Amino acid sequence: MTGVDRLSCEEAFRRLDDYLDRELSADEMRLVREHLEVCVVCATEFGFERGVIERVRDKLSRIDVSPDLKRRIALALDKAARGEA
Amino acid sequence: MGNATAGAHTPETFEQLLTPLLDKAFGLALNLLGDRAEAEDAVQEAALLAFKNFKSFEPGTNFKAWFFRILVNWCFGRHRQRKRRPETVEYEDVPPLYLYEQTRAAGMQRAGADPVGEVIDRLDATQVRSAIEALPEEFRAVAALYFLEDSTYQEIASVLDVPVGTVRSRLHRARRLLQRRLWSLAVDAGLVSAPGGEVA
Repeated sequence: MTGVDRLSCEEAFRRLDDYLDRELSADEMRLVREHLEVCVVCATEFGFERGVIERVRDKLSRIDVSPDLKRRIALALDKAARGEA
Repeated sequence: MGNATAGAHTPETFEQLLTPLLDKAFGLALNLLGDRAEAEDAVQEAALLAFKNFKSFEPGTNFKAWFFRILVNWCFGRHRQRKRRPETVEYEDVPPLYLYEQTRAAGMQRAGADPVGEVIDRLDATQVRSAIEALPEEFRAVAALYFLEDSTYQEIASVLDVPVGTVRSRLHRARRLLQRRLWSLAVDAGLVSAPGGEVA
């Protein structure tokens, strides 16, 4: 246990990034969650930040490597394995 | 590669380990370099380099972290060649909640509005990537890995071979720098209006 019953807005805010990335201990995650349940201002700010991360990730995740590159790599590795590269 | 003690180091094993990572590897290179052709070259060159050094990979350890480290280093070398001028951009601190405050000041936080979407969804992936590519090098790799997939700080630390605390501090700062860059891009593209004509 952290020995803390509840967090102030400032204490919750200090944990914002780590909370969004699930890098806090289970107790600290719970404390932040409980704060967000009763503080609409912090909940709005945290929600906004989470939205930014998700939207950026979504923008950047829709990527497939081209079949041509896969072919090129396979060829290059094959040549290297045969000692040609 | 063919001796008895190196059974785990065959070309077949290498390809089996590499192939499932290629999409993510390409995404990572693209986030770091911002150009499809250069990203393809980077993945191919890193794959070849990794293959030639496959004996130094310890079987049973994290191949993905090992290969991504090679790829990141290759991309950084390429990036340095390309950008001869010293990096002086955006090192000063950016306040927290930068986008939140900007969208609020711009009157975008109306009831039922989606201010995050109004900024980020209207930028295309190339613009978002350019914002990451514009980050100083120490922040760029952390951000590129972080936004590529839902990695833990420990996973990012393994790729970059730095302490977890370094990942944490760089990532926290990178996110703020990135928010300012995204806002600036949205203003410059005329997608949003800077409050009071402020230059973002």
